[in-house]
Amino acid sequence: MLEVDHVHKEFGSVRAVRDVHFTIPDGTTFGLLGPNGAGKTTTMRMILGILTPDGGAVRWNGQPVHANTRKHFGYLPEERGIYGKMKVRDQIAYFGKLHGMREPSLGQEVDRWIERLGITQYADRPCAELSKGNQQKVQVACAAVHRPQLLVLDEPFSGLDPVNADILLAILRELQSNGTALVLSSHQMWQLEDLCDRFCIIADGENRASGTLEELRSVFPTRVVRIGDTHGTSEINVPATTDFAAMLRELVSTKPITRFEAVEPSLHEIYLHAIGGSAA
Amino acid sequence: MNMTDLQTVFAAEFLRRIRSRAFVIGMAIGVVGILTFTKLPALIGNAFAGSSTIVLIGDETLTSPAEALLKSDYDIAAKLPAGTIVTQAVLRTNKAAAALTLSKTRQGITVAVDARDPSAMRRADIKRDLLPLQLSLATGKTTAQVNALTSIPITIKTIGSKFSNSNQAQQVKGIAYMLIFFLYILILLNSQLVTSSVAEEKTSRIAELLVASVDPATLLAGKILAGTAIAVVQMLIWIAAGVLTGGSPGTSQTADANAMFSLSQIFDVLTPLVIVAFLAFFVLGMLQLCTIFAALASLINRTEDLGSITGPLTIPVVGALFIAIAALGSPGAPWIVTCSFVPILSPFVMFARIAVSNVPAWQVVLALAINLGALYGIALFAGKVYRVGMLLYGRTPKLSQVWNVIRS
Repeated sequence: MLEVDHVHKEFGSVRAVRDVHFTIPDGTTFGLLGPNGAGKTTTMRMILGILTPDGGAVRWNGQPVHANTRKHFGYLPEERGIYGKMKVRDQIAYFGKLHGMREPSLGQEVDRWIERLGITQYADRPCAELSKGNQQKVQVACAAVHRPQLLVLDEPFSGLDPVNADILLAILRELQSNGTALVLSSHQMWQLEDLCDRFCIIADGENRASGTLEELRSVFPTRVVRIGDTHGTSEINVPATTDFAAMLRELVSTKPITRFEAVEPSLHEIYLHAIGGSAA
Repeated sequence: MNMTDLQTVFAAEFLRRIRSRAFVIGMAIGVVGILTFTKLPALIGNAFAGSSTIVLIGDETLTSPAEALLKSDYDIAAKLPAGTIVTQAVLRTNKAAAALTLSKTRQGITVAVDARDPSAMRRADIKRDLLPLQLSLATGKTTAQVNALTSIPITIKTIGSKFSNSNQAQQVKGIAYMLIFFLYILILLNSQLVTSSVAEEKTSRIAELLVASVDPATLLAGKILAGTAIAVVQMLIWIAAGVLTGGSPGTSQTADANAMFSLSQIFDVLTPLVIVAFLAFFVLGMLQLCTIFAALASLINRTEDLGSITGPLTIPVVGALFIAIAALGSPGAPWIVTCSFVPILSPFVMFARIAVSNVPAWQVVLALAINLGALYGIALFAGKVYRVGMLLYGRTPKLSQVWNVIRS
């Protein structure tokens, strides 16, 4: 289990993260949401030990994250890099070695990833010769070749075409089913809503909301009610505490109703509500 | 520092660099340069070999003793009778560069020189060689007697020097000069390679992925050690090329003449102390400069900025080269001795002093200690700069900003 315990981080006079806290149980897929500059990347870097928090702590299974712990983590940063002149196979193997893998399991795992990602024909070619999409596949393999217990992905879908996004999604589901805990940040809310078990929304370096989608919905203050009649369908916002049965009875008693639907807020709506004025 | 990670980074970096085009081209250029440096004098000498071939014209009583006197500096192609008119055909027939016409006068002799290239005939050499003939004619003694009278045995003894004679001193200075130049080229070249490696990782944005897997200090150390190892490989190849092409076994006069140094001379000079000093100061110099260069390279965001941020650092290195060359001439001068303890300068200057003089052991130990201490300090500071710099994107930060971030 990963615990991010009220961390904060400053860069000179800039307070990047003020008080972020959440826990990620083993095998959970966790969505970290927030507008640009909210502190998501800084939080991820603190999880990975790239940055040291100025206050608070990051713990993995109750212990502070240290060099050996990090061998069980994987990372796909938002700004992805690659050694252009290094061959695909060598590149994936290098990152495997950096995470403590050794032959023969390293070679087998590298081959498995190359095959899984459909880049067998490029395995012995320099990465610079690959298309951007295929380079991104190599980067995913570099991040996950060592079968990490925790994989942190910063905007993993950015820059991917729909086909490659689907491939990545399938890979993430595979990792999920293998018990890898995933931490994702993305602006594609529908993908996160579909993929993640828990969420944390941060803005201005602070927690704004966290929990499962149900928990987030339960504290959302309003609901949209879609009402259909002979003139068409209309939507109205009502407090979440509204007694919808009573509301329906009242409506039916006044006019002919063809449709009545209390819509649960989407992650997108919850997100917009949570970040409030930080949306800009 | 995780030794397994260090080994992985070192191996990857070493293989990546040694297979790179830059390394292969640099190596080839170096070997060609050494070949040129060692063989050019002999090649030039051969090209102008005809310039030392002459013909003598004059009475047999003059040309015979003159031949004996001139043969140390010139090859005498022919002795022609007095009255022979010097033409191009005469020179061409005898494959000679010049003709010396000797005539007897009341005071002794006169010499008229007809040369294809007058600059190749040195008046002072001819005068020195023929002076015994002049004196012989004036005094009635034989040239052998005149030679015996005019020769003064001179013995030069050395006090407090590591050389037994001036020839050895000259040879050592020549070889030390070459080694200092190797030191300069290798340190600067390989520091630049480490710099470009760091810059490549920073600008290609792979740095963040790396520092998530490996401690930045381990990453930096792996790179620097790989750069140093590559420099050692390069140095050994260059020295081997220099020894194999420049040195000769020294068994024949021709071989000696064509080689800059004989193998025996080189190994006379490269005593175990000099070799150890060279390696120790070379490694220290490499580590110091590579570390600083790598830290600075981590601050840039575009490879185009690499020159502007690391360029100023090459100035002290060039300065160190000139001071080291000066040290070959005055190894005991107070300012040279002072410079031999200053980090960055020390690897060059102290090595130069060790090569050409008897440096007290305590000074060598002190210089090593200062350099090691400086390296530790540089590594600590550079590690912090590198750790921060590798994650700083956007505009190249000012040093004051980097300092603030490091402090925070």
